Amino acid sequence: MKIRVNGTERTLDVDPEMPLLWAIRDVLGLTGTKYGCGEALCGACSVHLDGHVVRSCVTPVRRAEGKRVTTIEGLSAAGDHPLQRAWLELRVPQCGFCQAGQLMTAAALLEATPAPTDDEIDASMAGNLCRCGTYPRIRAAIKRAAGIKGDEP
Amino acid sequence: MTVTRRSFLIGLNLAVGGLALGIYPRDALAAEPAGLSPNVFVRIAPDGVVTIVCHRSEMGQGVRSSLPALIAAELGASLDRVVVEQALGDAKYGDQNTDGSSSVRERIDDLRRAGAAARQMLITAAAKQWKVKPATCAAAGHQVVHAASARALDFGDLVAAARKLAVPKPESLELRPMAELRAVLHPTLPLLDGPAFVEGKAQFGADVSLPGMLIAVIARPPVVGGTVAKYDADAALKIPGVRHVIAMPEPVAPWLFKPWGGIAVVAENTWAAMRGRAALDLSWNDGDNAGYDSAAFDDEMLASVRAPGTTRRQVGDVDAAMTAAARIVEAEYLVPHLAHLSMEPPTALVAIDGDQVEVWAPTQNPQGARGEVARTLGVAEDNVTVHVTLLGGGFGRKSKPDFVAEAAFLARETGAPVRVQWTREDDVRHGYYNAVSAQRLRAGLDADGKVTAWHHRTAFTPIGSTFDGVSDEPGDGDLQQGVLDLALDVPNVRAESCKARAQVRVGWYRSVYNIFHAFSVGSFIDELAAERKVDPRDMWLEIIGPAREVSLQELGIAKLGNYGHTLDDHPVDAGRLRNVIERVTASAKWDERAASGRFLGLAAHRSFVAYTAVVISVVADPVRTFRIDEAWISMDAGTIVNEERVHSQLEGGLIMGISNALYGGVTMKQGRTVQSNFRDARIARIRDAPRRIHTDLVASDALAAGVGEPPVPPVGPALANALFALTGKRLRAIPLAKALGI
Amino acid sequence: MRIELVCGVAVAAAACGNGARTSTAPVELREVADHELRAVADFDGIRDRDARSRALFAEAGRVLMHPRCVNCHPAGDIPHQRLAMELHDPPVQRGPDDRGVVGMECTGCHQDRNQELTRVPGAPGWHLAPIEMAWVGKSAAHICAQIQDPARNGGKTLAEIVEHSAHDELVAWGWAPGADREPVPGTQAEFGALVAAWVATGAACPPPEEQ
Repeated sequence: MKIRVNGTERTLDVDPEMPLLWAIRDVLGLTGTKYGCGEALCGACSVHLDGHVVRSCVTPVRRAEGKRVTTIEGLSAAGDHPLQRAWLELRVPQCGFCQAGQLMTAAALLEATPAPTDDEIDASMAGNLCRCGTYPRIRAAIKRAAGIKGDEP
Repeated sequence: MTVTRRSFLIGLNLAVGGLALGIYPRDALAAEPAGLSPNVFVRIAPDGVVTIVCHRSEMGQGVRSSLPALIAAELGASLDRVVVEQALGDAKYGDQNTDGSSSVRERIDDLRRAGAAARQMLITAAAKQWKVKPATCAAAGHQVVHAASARALDFGDLVAAARKLAVPKPESLELRPMAELRAVLHPTLPLLDGPAFVEGKAQFGADVSLPGMLIAVIARPPVVGGTVAKYDADAALKIPGVRHVIAMPEPVAPWLFKPWGGIAVVAENTWAAMRGRAALDLSWNDGDNAGYDSAAFDDEMLASVRAPGTTRRQVGDVDAAMTAAARIVEAEYLVPHLAHLSMEPPTALVAIDGDQVEVWAPTQNPQGARGEVARTLGVAEDNVTVHVTLLGGGFGRKSKPDFVAEAAFLARETGAPVRVQWTREDDVRHGYYNAVSAQRLRAGLDADGKVTAWHHRTAFTPIGSTFDGVSDEPGDGDLQQGVLDLALDVPNVRAESCKARAQVRVGWYRSVYNIFHAFSVGSFIDELAAERKVDPRDMWLEIIGPAREVSLQELGIAKLGNYGHTLDDHPVDAGRLRNVIERVTASAKWDERAASGRFLGLAAHRSFVAYTAVVISVVADPVRTFRIDEAWISMDAGTIVNEERVHSQLEGGLIMGISNALYGGVTMKQGRTVQSNFRDARIARIRDAPRRIHTDLVASDALAAGVGEPPVPPVGPALANALFALTGKRLRAIPLAKALGI
Repeated sequence: MRIELVCGVAVAAAACGNGARTSTAPVELREVADHELRAVADFDGIRDRDARSRALFAEAGRVLMHPRCVNCHPAGDIPHQRLAMELHDPPVQRGPDDRGVVGMECTGCHQDRNQELTRVPGAPGWHLAPIEMAWVGKSAAHICAQIQDPARNGGKTLAEIVEHSAHDELVAWGWAPGADREPVPGTQAEFGALVAAWVATGAACPPPEEQ
């Protein structure tokens, strides 16, 4: 099957039921997307499918056929998406493992809602777990990228 | 190796040749042949690039951004010409155990000396060339400078001469004044791996690939110590991509860092391995721990603390004082097993090539991993190379290299490089849990309400049980965490340890025994305040007593482990504990809380020789009973290297403490862990994080204390106390969400 | 059998399952196990057309008011999960189109069919019933009225309701929920037949709010 990943068409010869996560990581070698739970509970595997956030650990790769998949590696060409810049300015990551998923979800949020409220941020980011506790900085970085003034650590 | 001007390059992720697949050539880590290498931590090349080795594991605490920066500051190097290299697991680096909040407090002097040695050699070389006294030269901004004659030489230009000099003896090294270091360190340090994190290029344990690598997913016995009764290997082998089905060595107590046993399915990709495991149709012999039941064990531990134990701390005569007391306040507290649940589940890659073994693992214990692999394969440690990847969280789980031993075993059995991938279920069910605990506190009050007697009984399975298979009662080394080092201005004190046998693997989890000691003591002091109808802040200060260094005699003990430090270096300082309480309550406008209609809870704790105090504010919420709307945390950790990262530890530790208290706990039934994934082994989500967090670090010249764990222990009791203020209900068992029905 | 919702008294006995007398008809319905649905023919003995219609609806109600169905017909903005009807975790919200909010869309996790190894239930077009179709906390009488009200049932005719019940893919999920989830009673075909028979007998509703 053919899927478009970060702008490049890829041909995959895999079990159509293989979750997109493993196709991305094990077959295509794109390891920025992470495995955290395998059951859509933690969000570490979040990618975009035609611009919508999906949890790739439960999404069969056949669902991506003919569609555009965007992973963290494709969020920007030079690591300079406003969210990536805000993430670095505010030093959001601690261990860093959840951050690809956080960024992908935040990117979809800002694409749809350029100036989200605190409640909208919490609602959209609710599926992305962070064990290190970077949530306050995630909130602040989303607002910074959106150009919203707020309390920053 | 080409070096660019980009600041603070990342040793693991240099774009050199074959690194695109995550393989790094061994010679990238060899010493620079024409350079200056006074010790294992620092190498300077003729082009001036300074390579600094980070010997501890990066798991979010910022060690890679802090330790090399410290060495660089002592040396006088500019960070944009420093390359950080992650150390292999090797005893030459000294202790590489990244745990116990020890990287700075235990190694700060060693690391400073490593930088100072290089500095002194460069200065000596420059002074020789200029024919001036070394004392008239200084190293800063990647140069040695002779101010009087306005001469300067780049470090690179001095390498050839410096490397001919003898390495200065440690006792001859002069360290810079701390104020000078602070001037360099405390404007914010770069986050070394930040760009890699946000671009998805950071290499964690599962991100390293080798040609021909296979992935293993292991079905482990549900009960620790259990064995396989039967399984259907053929069914697994029928799954496309599955190559091998291999029985793991059967577990034998004591558990140490040995694999847990079971059946491994080894496949060409992770999905095939998972499917293969699901097809195994296993049945088990559960073994001796099949009777482990959390509800029953809670009763067993409560019975244990309701009977006399072993006295570990004693002042005056608690029994007589209780008899004479006007009132007695008593409470029991229960804290369940806590699981680490780092976002990256355990994983490790081992490749065997002839007699050489290479390991890539997110390990907090590289030397332990090396030893465990050597032992598993029956080879010499010298033949084992352990590469430490980034860790997607550790919290103590990845100090135990059992998962590395599994990969080594399977690499040998299959003849291929094997990565063992733990699923989240595996991580929830086969961890090294923080010990479950029951605590009993009793205080006697006189007619004026003064506490005259304090009696504490603590029951928990000590970590020693994992290593000796028999320990069933905490010892002094365990009780130093919050029982023996607790400042109490009370004339009669007794603390006893009580038995709790091991029925599961117990290990250390971020702040360890401090979690339940702080929860119980911190809640109990609040209960005493309520009983006496006094302000909890005043109760804390009264119980701790006046500012003083608390002596062993006053503590009522003969010795104190004190996290490996002497009491001279790190006294039990009641003044520093009082100070963080006063600071945090002032920040939180504690005295105005009634007038502002706010419900605040306070707690404080000494751990890893640092002092932390927390105030949490809760408000009623129609949907979820309550919400934490604001929190304040003050910490005194002495000398700080990377201030910005310590603030992030305060934020993160606060949220982990909230997570532990609200949702924490794995429970056992019929020897099995009841929970399986984040649906029932819950952790805090973004909505659980207060929208306003205030972190406060005391500026101090005291010796460096721990910073990674100390933020956690006072959070749980502060939250429970805040909930008492809001609801009038005292919650004495974790998880609090259970009692609140959320 | 766990039915959390109020049944109209007149059909209380039948709806709650095992063949006790109703107060308006002397016919005793045969006993069935919790997972079985009675057949249309089982109600032939009820001579009174309205009473038979109400009894048929009550039987269909054993499906409609089962947590498996009701969980996605919440009265608020949060779906429920499991037989105990806990609030959905991870925390999701209805969103503007009953399909979740950005980053937490239903189909971000729920696929077109159940995912067995990863345990996530799925069916084509997974989404919440619109708020006007809220069933949590509603009586059988309320649901009965709502189902046949074009203003609140997505503009469906009664014939379309029958078609929806018998053939809709998302409705079908109730009988094959995957993993270890308890399915709703009977089969979709049997359910569809009951709904058809209810419509054919005049789509009578239980009396409102008799508790």
